[in-house]
Amino acid sequence: MSNMRPDPITVEVIGSALSSIVEEMGEALVRASYSTNIKERRDCSTALFDIAGNTLCQAEHIPIHLGSFIGIIAHILKRHPMAKMQPGDVFVGNDAYEGGGTHLPDIVLAEPIFVDGRIVSWAVNLAHHSDFADRGHAHIFQEGLRIPPIRLYRAGELQNDVQELILLNCQVPRERLSDLRAQMAANRLGVSRMQALCAKYGTETVLAAGEALQDYAERKMRAGIAAIPDGTWTFADVHDSPEIDGELPLTLTLTIAGDTMSLDFDGPDQVRAGINMTFTALLATVYYAVKTVVDPTLLPNAGLARPLRVTAREGSVLNCVLPAAVNARLSTCQRVVDLIHGALAQAVPGRVTAAHNGACFVASFVGRQPITGEPWVYLETIGGGFGARATKDGLDGVHVHTTNTSNLPVEALEIEYPLTLMRYELVEGSGGAGRQRGGMGLRRVYRAEAECRLRMDGSRFASAPWGLQGGQPGGRGRFVYGPGIAPFVLGNGLLQAGDWVEIITPGGGGYGPPGERDRAALQRDLAEGSITPEAAQTIYGAD
Amino acid sequence: MGWRVGVDSGGTFTDVCLFEEDTGRIAVWKVSSTPDDPSRGIAGGVAEGMAEIGQAPADIAYFGHGTTVATNALIQHRGVRTGLVTTDGFRDLLEIGRQKRPDLYDLQVDKPPVLVARELRLQVPERIRHDGSVETALDEQAVRDAARALKAAGVQAIAICFLYSFVHPAHEATAKRIIAEEIPGIFLTTSHEIAPEFREFERLSTAVVNSYLGPVMRGYIKRLAERLAELGVTATPHLTQSNGGVIGFEAAAEMPVRMVLSGPSTGVVGAQAIGRLSGFPDLITFDMGGTSTDVALLQGGAARMTGEAIVHGYPIKAPMLDIHTVGAGGGSIAFVDSGGLLKVGPRSCGADPGPVCYDRGNPEAAVTDANVVLGTLHPTHLLGGRMPIRRDLSLAAVERLAAQLGMGVMETAQGILSVVTANMAKAIRVISVQRGHDPRDYTLMAFGGAGPLHASRLAKELDIRRVLVPRNPGILCAMGLLLTDLRADFSATRLTALDEDAVAPMEAAFATLTATAERWFEQEHIAADKRMIRRSVDMRYAGQNYELPVALPDGPFTAATLAHLAEGFAAAHRQMYGFIAEGEAVQLVTFRLEATGVVRKAELRPRPLQGPDPQAALEATREIWLPEAQGIVVVPVYARDRLAPGDRIAGPAIVEQMDATTVILPGQDARVDEYENLILEAAA
Repeated sequence: MSNMRPDPITVEVIGSALSSIVEEMGEALVRASYSTNIKERRDCSTALFDIAGNTLCQAEHIPIHLGSFIGIIAHILKRHPMAKMQPGDVFVGNDAYEGGGTHLPDIVLAEPIFVDGRIVSWAVNLAHHSDFADRGHAHIFQEGLRIPPIRLYRAGELQNDVQELILLNCQVPRERLSDLRAQMAANRLGVSRMQALCAKYGTETVLAAGEALQDYAERKMRAGIAAIPDGTWTFADVHDSPEIDGELPLTLTLTIAGDTMSLDFDGPDQVRAGINMTFTALLATVYYAVKTVVDPTLLPNAGLARPLRVTAREGSVLNCVLPAAVNARLSTCQRVVDLIHGALAQAVPGRVTAAHNGACFVASFVGRQPITGEPWVYLETIGGGFGARATKDGLDGVHVHTTNTSNLPVEALEIEYPLTLMRYELVEGSGGAGRQRGGMGLRRVYRAEAECRLRMDGSRFASAPWGLQGGQPGGRGRFVYGPGIAPFVLGNGLLQAGDWVEIITPGGGGYGPPGERDRAALQRDLAEGSITPEAAQTIYGAD
Repeated sequence: MGWRVGVDSGGTFTDVCLFEEDTGRIAVWKVSSTPDDPSRGIAGGVAEGMAEIGQAPADIAYFGHGTTVATNALIQHRGVRTGLVTTDGFRDLLEIGRQKRPDLYDLQVDKPPVLVARELRLQVPERIRHDGSVETALDEQAVRDAARALKAAGVQAIAICFLYSFVHPAHEATAKRIIAEEIPGIFLTTSHEIAPEFREFERLSTAVVNSYLGPVMRGYIKRLAERLAELGVTATPHLTQSNGGVIGFEAAAEMPVRMVLSGPSTGVVGAQAIGRLSGFPDLITFDMGGTSTDVALLQGGAARMTGEAIVHGYPIKAPMLDIHTVGAGGGSIAFVDSGGLLKVGPRSCGADPGPVCYDRGNPEAAVTDANVVLGTLHPTHLLGGRMPIRRDLSLAAVERLAAQLGMGVMETAQGILSVVTANMAKAIRVISVQRGHDPRDYTLMAFGGAGPLHASRLAKELDIRRVLVPRNPGILCAMGLLLTDLRADFSATRLTALDEDAVAPMEAAFATLTATAERWFEQEHIAADKRMIRRSVDMRYAGQNYELPVALPDGPFTAATLAHLAEGFAAAHRQMYGFIAEGEAVQLVTFRLEATGVVRKAELRPRPLQGPDPQAALEATREIWLPEAQGIVVVPVYARDRLAPGDRIAGPAIVEQMDATTVILPGQDARVDEYENLILEAAA
């Protein structure tokens, strides 16, 4: 694009400015939004892209969101010639097959950034709209409104027809509208900040620095891979979900050759359930997992992907095609991380953690407010145990891997929705035993104060998060139903006022033989109640 | 009339600033700190400082003190063994927090240690609902049992936090009474007293931090008060809080959580006073030290406040100046990473071994070394001659980086400054553009050891036209202590819709807050005519979860008050987010009252303007490397002590003083104003 090679210092300085911009966009989005999912749980991401659709910079929010980002620009360009775009055009999209998305609630807004009459870059953000609830998941047509990339704004003018169509298909249109406004505000900021940056340093310099930053990420990725011994490793694991019977076998063959890495996945044919992954979701997951082991400081831009080759059979669970349903792809993503870490653990065991909780537990409620009759939708995801590390215990009760959303404060949840939270605590004994103990899972107990429908999702109900180097597996996930509740079907059920349900999330795997655990650490575990005296004796061999 | 004394006790030095009320005379005394018991160094410094000017401690009319005792105890986890009593089912909340992991990609990072061990977090049956109604009454026997168990476990402090205590505090109050009966004299914090606002984890964390630090602070204050009394100081001693105001020792001992940003806040207060005097009320402060840099924004002479921040990993709900800290300073180390880019920090060489030029064994170039190489710092010694240095070592270290980058040595040294400047610019964007302020409308006030050295480059990066370097940039924090009022903040969360029915609940909430403030005024013995009250309301659109503060006019509550709030909120929302949501319902969330006890402050006196020829202050010339010239330029070096008000200096030039060096760039003009501030502006 440009012959200018900016010096390493200019590149670093412009890199700082780009990350300022995406962070500022992220803050604006969170603060101006209405829905609890964005304003408290921060389930959103922001990024800048170059005109070829490569990530220039992504704010550190949710790794899986990169999956939607890497697809959107290409899909926009497929439908809309760049020559016909105008300043103030804003594209909206969410579709997993025609919009580059990974599931329908993640709605992306993308705005081309014009400088001196030409497009130099894109401001993009994604918000997980807590809507499309209580839907079917046999195929994607049941999962919500599919939006290909189309103009929500044309030259700064709201396309009201489009907006009305979207809102009519949403259960809580007022929240959707407000969150879309916040998304607009975030992109507007991105556009004006990027224009100012180009004015300051010169557009050519900024673009050249953008390219240099991608080259830089590539060099660091290559340097990191080269430091791993060459070889081929395979790893197999299984995946389960309330939506399917039995477990799906998944495998990975991972090859390191010099400064490149190839990852060849295989799994069963795509299923009539929302647990399939699009290829972009798979890529985003790979980028995340590899980065954690190779070099966590890698810049979040497209350059890091260049030394990686990823394949998965088309039409399989890990690379699904139309019309596969994808809503609950996140737990599958977590299992893909387990595959990658499991393979890399054979090459560089000291750098890899034992399996994390391996799931993204979801509770999604739909109902009507008792007094006003207003419809409400509330979605939350629940963390669990973090796998033990070579020299440290795993973290207790956190979100792991491809997600990292906040919980909603009890005092905010109960004010907004007719729900009461009865308990929120660590699950004793759920951390996998080991020289280093796996992190503990979480228990969250809800009571309905009015009739509502509930959908619960998760994984690792049958299998357990594995340990490493002699460490034992972490505890499994479980749903517990209070008395009088009719059996849930595929994770869906009805709660009457006064009914309660309990979600227990898995713990992390342990690292190293439990018998080698430091005795003082074992005493602390006992004092804190993280393990039982029986476990201390039978598993850890305490006196 | 007598002397006003400000003491800023830092990790390395304790600065004592003495100000004579009658004459406006200022004296400064610097002694080494005594970190094992800072009160020793402080008492010694005050005694020596007063002796030096021939005065007795009894002549001290006012004693103000900024301390890092609370901050350090929190950073180093040296608080006391603390217990927690909380709602059944929620004892792990302290550990779970917001369930996020500390780093997105680095799987080796840990969360900050939990301040209360799991076995000391006891839960008792009780449950209040969001509307304040009681679902489960407090099990008083369970509280008593918990108190006994914690007593047996040897805790020195206890925090009490129940869900919705900010709506219905009775359960916490009862628990407090029972625990005090069981363990007389133990340090107790209830969440509704320390932070009566919603969001339980942050309120819980605040209560726990307060208890964890309580006995440490109580012990420190007691020792310091005794030492001062032994010296013969009769003035009531005061401590600064994170909100920039001071408070009496007794009140401070009960609320250490409100002191955690005591240190940097006094610098901002000092900057605020000097900015007002010099006619620059809109300021961005830039306090750059050896390992970290604090920045803050002041609009119309007032610093932005925040009600919540994460301090050293722990969420704290307390009124604080909105100060943003970055881990970069003069000691930050430069290196070339595996991808071939030049990075600076966050590793720092500290004061020991210090930068390469100190010749104490550190081989890696720090920001200070880059300045030594470029000539912006003196080539043979620093700190007014007290610290001899070796430029050849700095040069060799920067040459090694230059070879890795394939660049010239001077370009590399300048590059280190560019990278660190970019980091600083990022921090300033957080407090300005991210809050809807354009930095170009502000004056950059530079202080701290390294602030004046880097301020002009930073201003250029942000298109800021004016830089102000105060007369004593190294002791601005101690000065700030002499320029601040007594201040306490009170708040109450009451979710209320902004409609005609809002007047009564608002009136009731403020009546309670005002009564509390009146009690505080009495405790602090503030005369009626010195009492000031400012009210504000945190507001949002119904459905949002972040609030914006809107100032409330004095006087009775009427329909006009509501209209004022609505307008104020719309304006604030537009500034912050660039839009308003016409027709959406607005909520009042938290009512706030800021009580100020006006005290006599040090009054800086102007000196008559002379000049403009700075010749009398010319000390030497020096070769410095300037990117503007792409080469060495010989520039004049002026002694700050000898510059007179009215003097003008055309850049490029250097101004040196004992604890700071100011760089004036080509194209900048500097002038000394009547308060002896150095004001740098783009040449006309």
